[in-house]
Amino acid sequence: MEQQPLLEANGLTKRYEDGALAVNNVSFSVRPGEIYAMLGGNGAGKTTTINLFLNFLEPTSGEARIAGIASHADPLAAKKHVAFVSENVMLYTNFTAVQNLAYFVRLGGRTGYTTEDYRRVLLRVGLQEEAHHKKLKGFSKGMRQKCGIAIAILKDAPAILLDEPTSGLDPKSGYEFMQLLGSLRDEGKAILMSTHDIFRAKESADTIGIMRQGNLVMQQSRAALSGEDLERLYMEHMAGVTE
Amino acid sequence: MVRLIIEKELRDIFTSSKFLVTFGICSVLIILSFLIGARNHQVATAQYEASKRANDLQYEGVTDWTRVQEYKIFLPPQPLATLVNGVANDIGRTIEVRGRGELRSQDSRYGDDPIFALFRFLDLEFIFSIVLTLFAILFGYDLINGEKERGTLRLTFSNAIPRTGYIIAKFIGAFLALAVPLLVPILAGILILPAFGITLAGDDWLKLALIIGAGIITVGAFLALALFVSASTERSSTSFLVLLSLWIVMVMIVPRLSVVAADQIVTVPSVDEINSQKSRFMSQIWNEDRGRMNSYTPPKSQNVQEVMAGFNKFMQELADAREKKFNELSARLNEERTNRQAEQQMLAMLVSGVSPSALFTLAAGEINGTSLRMERAFLEQAKEYQRQYAAFMKEKTGMNTGGFSFVVRMVTDDDAAPPKPINIRELPQFAFTPLSAASGLGAYTGYTGVLAVYLLLFFAGAYRSFQRYDVR
Repeated sequence: MEQQPLLEANGLTKRYEDGALAVNNVSFSVRPGEIYAMLGGNGAGKTTTINLFLNFLEPTSGEARIAGIASHADPLAAKKHVAFVSENVMLYTNFTAVQNLAYFVRLGGRTGYTTEDYRRVLLRVGLQEEAHHKKLKGFSKGMRQKCGIAIAILKDAPAILLDEPTSGLDPKSGYEFMQLLGSLRDEGKAILMSTHDIFRAKESADTIGIMRQGNLVMQQSRAALSGEDLERLYMEHMAGVTE
Repeated sequence: MVRLIIEKELRDIFTSSKFLVTFGICSVLIILSFLIGARNHQVATAQYEASKRANDLQYEGVTDWTRVQEYKIFLPPQPLATLVNGVANDIGRTIEVRGRGELRSQDSRYGDDPIFALFRFLDLEFIFSIVLTLFAILFGYDLINGEKERGTLRLTFSNAIPRTGYIIAKFIGAFLALAVPLLVPILAGILILPAFGITLAGDDWLKLALIIGAGIITVGAFLALALFVSASTERSSTSFLVLLSLWIVMVMIVPRLSVVAADQIVTVPSVDEINSQKSRFMSQIWNEDRGRMNSYTPPKSQNVQEVMAGFNKFMQELADAREKKFNELSARLNEERTNRQAEQQMLAMLVSGVSPSALFTLAAGEINGTSLRMERAFLEQAKEYQRQYAAFMKEKTGMNTGGFSFVVRMVTDDDAAPPKPINIRELPQFAFTPLSAASGLGAYTGYTGVLAVYLLLFFAGAYRSFQRYDVR
């Protein structure tokens, strides 16, 4: 029997007060153990879609559901089932990595973790042990992203939203990050990721959606895309932008 | 969740350089204010004792109570007045009592040492209303938009965090963090006082606690204002500028403007004008009396004492009538001035009520007994003393005090023993009763209540703004 989607957009639309249409009638779903990659250029509506899931914005019409709960109707209940990693993870710079983890994980409603748990997760995401008790002031973007994903792992939510998580990471960090994402998918997490990175999307995503000017212009499973040149497809769909 | 955010807020602030600087400055200023206050109290007490001794010494060797034409009474220094000055340094500390007539206080601390009037003393009132309100703004200007700029607000609200709980926790956290640099040095300052020989009575402790309480509410109001502006702006640089401008208006401009505005709207005749009117009236009635004196016919008697007694009686009657007329005019003029003054003060206080820092100044002065009531209380008690003094002198000399009379002393060879000197300590002693905390509690509660309303209004504004705040 097919599992119910954990992340679901149904006719999701967001029009700003100035009339700009940021997201137009977008529908997709992400089931447990699935990675959905949203591709698209700047201003395509990827981040707005994630913001609608997190109820940072109210949809004009349609709905974004997390674990079956419409996030604009009951945001607090919906957010209990999702973890979020932004493009640029920003944490408290005068706290250590472990202190940041302890705070945000408890804020996410998870308690009972020990220092050893934090150590293990930070090692799992690839943060070297000597950095665990250092203040974040001197951390690189890659190190902060690792902390961000560690927080998401410890929150242990069934769904994860990632907003361009590999943007600005060096190739090695980007590769390690995608490996980690694969392992989270294997644990049964439903992952929605917005990205510019076609190659990593093709490598790891189960479903790829291409967004342009707020519209979901293409949506294909990895199996359907196996024989396709994703870069060519993407450029074709994006062509409308440059025309 | 609220507790968690409060703990985070405390840790975040305690590990910041902003906190270290604040704590350092507050500690230095507060402890210094206690040290200066204690030292001033010591000096003022020594001056008070010396003045009393000098006052008594001038009558050393005097053998006749009729020679005691005037006696000075002094306002004793109050321990808490050195910590919250109010008008204690502006009003006169000495009153010359003559047994009748108007009383006027003179020799204020600032009058004696004008240099202190230039910059005033460093006291708790200054620290709360100027320094700590500024620190409240420094602690609060980026409470919300700073989190947004740092990017932590988005991550925070990706969790199931109610906005109400979050903003309450942010306020409480910052408030508690601000209370540490305030209360720790105050506690240290209180411990310093006994080393200077200053002991606080039960009422003083209550006053001090209530002053600190009003100060904490004032600081809370400014912190809530900072939270409000922070939750209404996107950038911390904008909120800082807005708050700095508001602080300048509320702390620096409004209190001064309120006095200027009240002075422009309600005109109070100056003391000089009133004195001039009184002098003119006095000259007029003197001229009238001079005519009566010229037409005075002494009783036809060979007995000098009888003649003098008749003359004294006549002069006394003139003096009494003159004083009655003068007192009536004086009372009317004084009452008019007092009423206009009260009207002016009320208006100034109403206008200054726009500023929480001015409200704190008023509340602290009222509860401490160093408000405008202080001089009135001194004069009232001096008047009561003057009555005791007059009764005592009447008993000693058989004459009413303050008038003009001739004393004829008849020395005969029979008086072998020289007259004994008077004991000036027989005079009733003036003991000033400081204004109790209870006497100022009504006004204090009013001012502090308005302060609490400000706090709630600013927080309600912050709450409302934050409900619609774009956390992205």
